[in-house]
Order: sequence, then structure tokens, then C-alpha cells
Amino acid sequence: MSKIHIDDETLRPAPRRSNDRVEEIGLGVLGVVLLVGGWEYAAYAGWLNPVIVSSPSAIAQAFARQWQSGDLMKDLGISLAEFAIGFSLSLVVGLALGVAMGMSRWVEYAADPFIWFLYASPLIAFYPLIIVWLGFGSTTVIALTFLLTFVTIAVNTMAGVRSVDPQLIRAVRAFGGSRLDVVAKVVLPASVPLVLAGVRIGLGRALIGVILGEMFSSNGGLGYHISFYGAHLKTADLFVPLTTVVVIGVVMTRICAVFERRFLAWRN
Amino acid sequence: MSSLPSQAEARLAPRAAPRAFQRALQPWMRAIVGVGGVLVFLVVWQIVGSQDLIRSDLISYPTEVLRSLYAMVASGELWANLSVTLQEFVLGFFPAIVLGVALGLAFALSRRLLYLFDPLFAALYTAPMIAFVPVLVVWFGVGLVSKAVMVFLSAFIPIVINTRTGVEEVPEAPIRALKAFGASRWQIIAKGLLPGALPAIMAGLRLAVGRSIVSLVAAEMYVSVRGIGRLVQVYSTSDRAAEIFVLVLVISSLGFLGVVLIRRIEAYVAPWSAAR
Repeated sequence: MSKIHIDDETLRPAPRRSNDRVEEIGLGVLGVVLLVGGWEYAAYAGWLNPVIVSSPSAIAQAFARQWQSGDLMKDLGISLAEFAIGFSLSLVVGLALGVAMGMSRWVEYAADPFIWFLYASPLIAFYPLIIVWLGFGSTTVIALTFLLTFVTIAVNTMAGVRSVDPQLIRAVRAFGGSRLDVVAKVVLPASVPLVLAGVRIGLGRALIGVILGEMFSSNGGLGYHISFYGAHLKTADLFVPLTTVVVIGVVMTRICAVFERRFLAWRN
Repeated sequence: MSSLPSQAEARLAPRAAPRAFQRALQPWMRAIVGVGGVLVFLVVWQIVGSQDLIRSDLISYPTEVLRSLYAMVASGELWANLSVTLQEFVLGFFPAIVLGVALGLAFALSRRLLYLFDPLFAALYTAPMIAFVPVLVVWFGVGLVSKAVMVFLSAFIPIVINTRTGVEEVPEAPIRALKAFGASRWQIIAKGLLPGALPAIMAGLRLAVGRSIVSLVAAEMYVSVRGIGRLVQVYSTSDRAAEIFVLVLVISSLGFLGVVLIRRIEAYVAPWSAAR
């Protein structure tokens, strides 16, 4: 701790310098290299049990194997399809419900306890019941994804609708706009920032839903194979779908950040 | 001034009464409509379930859920498993607070350290933690340790990130003042940066409670000897909907209690942030 660099005046990191970006990327790469290298060396030196802990090189081999056999692409296809369907459903229902809750207090009051429950409860515990209803496999995974995701989008959309300047709504109404015009031309555009925040959180929750659902109630997809290889003590194989999931999460967040920046540009 | 009501007031009077009534009811509207909605739901559920309109073994009904709750409490089954879950939670959560706040502080104070770990943390923050359950079980066994590690990981990352943001957002003026009066580096951290970041840290803890309880239950469901998640698996194989509802309620209350508890602690240790 004593090595931490602290600016003497404010105890805060010094302001960004021009070569900061280089340092940021360089150190970031170094961090990853240290982790992978240290792990590989520890496995090579025999400090770790290779069967249980595995090693980066063994994982790379497993990756090549799963890539060539087409298993990885098949899993990726299944998971992404479930993700896309579950998330699209959540987006449609979440937006509609959110707008309804934002425009009518009654809808909000009535929906509030149920939304709170869906938000706070561990929905995965319901998977045995959902399986009985919808069957083992993709439908159950999509249902879990939907239940986990649409709430976040609805709540954020509601907050977004509430943030709309009422003067704008009155103006549209005064010039003869219908309620639908108000929704389409004022409410939705003005609530974009909060809706996008909801979408970003929702994407994360949808990924959790897909992986959880697949781990417990399906026989295909990245989540299923994470669980499968774990149960068979194939650690190196396990890390292939696991790393893929982590990469999907990172890529999604990056895309979201780009979108948010683009859509929010007009606000300043 | 005349004591007689003006014409305008007089004309308004009859309509003011119901409006006043409405206004008095306004703060309660949320509760009335909310409770009403839940009651309607419970009554419909009760009728559909108990009359077996839809297979009641799949959806159960409220009174059966209550009966199961009573039976599970009375037999000691609930507590025997809940105590294990709580133990795993505590063993993972408290180290996560200590190390999370320490590392978050270090990230806020040293840009080099932040850059070094940022990609790894960003990846872990966005990844669904439950995906790590199988590998943790392989590494740490099917028992208590793998679950405690799961709780630790799920709680640690939001705490680190919130602490870092909180410390970075502490205003400069009080820190300069501390410095001017000769405070040492550690005093500045203990008396300025950490108290200033406390609201953000507490928000991180609230986030962490929810995340880690869900991860913990999922980990127990994946494989475990004892615990609430283990019970879910036991009852799922026997298609017992009522018991599963009981367990879901227990886990939800656990998360709710955790958040309430943190708010209480927050009001005590950081009264200035309670308003948020």
C-alpha cells in the first residue's frame, strides 16, 4: 500500500497526461499477461494439480478441439439464439409495460408488488416448475431469461417516461396531438437515456438468465457445457465456454457504451 | 375582511369536499391498489389451485404454501439448511467487504494499479458470476468453501467498483483542508476519503447482497450437501411446488432483510447519506 502514488496536494491521481492512454493499454495487457503467464508457470512447475486447476495451454488446446469439432459454434449458436429471443421479448413487453406504468399511476401501483417480487426473488429456484410447464430445453431457458430481464427494462422505461417535461406533452395535446402521438413523438424519444440504461442492465441480466437456464434445464448451449464439463472434471474444456461467456459480456457492454454515447450526444 | 365567503369560494365549496377526500387518500393509494392487486392474485391463485382447475401439484396454492412453511419450520428442516446457507454467506461476504473496500481505495489512489487490473475487473463485472460455479466446485469441493468463494466473488467486484467511484468523487476542498492542517496520508484516508465514500460503499453493499444471494443459491442448486438451494433440488425432483414457493419466499426475504439491515447500518454510520 505504501507504494501507491498519491498526488501530494489532493491525494488524488494526477490529471490525465497525453501518454496516459498508452500506459493504460500497456498496463492492462501486462495485467492479463501476468495472470495467464503466472498460471501457466505455476502449472508447468507442478505447483497446481493439472487435472483440477488446468492451465492456459491446456485450455488453448481444448479451445482448438472444440472449435474444430464445431461444438463451440453449435453452443454459441444455441445460446445466442435463446438470448436474442428472450431479450427481444423482454424489450417489447418491458417497453410496453414501462410506458403504461409511467403514464398511469394505477397501472404502476398495481404492478409494483409483482415487479418487486420478480426483481428480488431468485427466479432460478422456479426452474423445476417452469420445466414442467414448458418442457426441458430452450423454451424454459427463454422463459427464465424473459422473467429476469423484462422487469429491469420496464422499471427504467417507467422512470424515463416520468422524466419527460410535462410542458412538452401539454404542447402536443394543445396542438391536437393524440395520446398515441404523445407516446411516439415525445415520451419515447425523451426517455431514451433511461431506457438505454435499462437495456444495458437488461442485457447483463439476460446473459445471466441464458446461462443459468442452460446450466439447470437444457441439453445444449454454453451454460449446459459449463455445467457438463464441470460435472465430468474436465476443467480445461470447461474454460472454453466459460471464457466465451465472459467475452460475450464484455463485447455487449462495449457495444452498449457506443450506442449510449451516440444516442446521448444530442442531449448536451 | 368580510367573514362571508366570496361568490367564487361559495361556488367551489361543494366540489372541494370530494377533492379533499381524494387528496387525503392520495398517499395511501399506492398501498391500497398494491395490496388490492396482490390480494386479487392470491385469491385467484387459491381458487385455481385448491379447486384443481390447473394441476395443483404444479402451481400449489397460498394456504398449502403456508402449511408447507409451517411443516418445514416445525421439522427443523428449514433451519438446518438455512443455517448452512447463512454461514456460507457470512464467510464469503465479510472478507469481500474488507478486501473490496481496500482494493477499491487503492484503485482510486493509484492510476497505475487501476490500469493493471481494469480489463480483468471489467470482464468479471459484466460476466454472469454463476458461470463460475462449476469451476469453483471443481477447485474448492462440493461443500461450504466453494459457496463462500462464490459469495466472495459476487460481492467483491461491485464493492471494489463502488468504493473506487465513491473515493474518486469525494470533493477536493475538505481533503485540501485536512492536508493544510497537517493530516498524514493515513489520516486523510481514514478521516476524509473513506467517510466521504461511505454512501457509495453502502450502495455497493446493497448491490452485493442481492447478487451474492442469488449466486449462492444457484451454487447450492448446482451441487451441495446442505443449504436452501439443495432443498430446492430435493423438492424439484419430487415435483413439490408448495415447498419450492416456500424456499423462494425464504430466499427473497433473506435478500430483503439484508438490504434493510444495510440501510439501518448506513443510517447509523453515515447519517448524512440516509436521505438518498
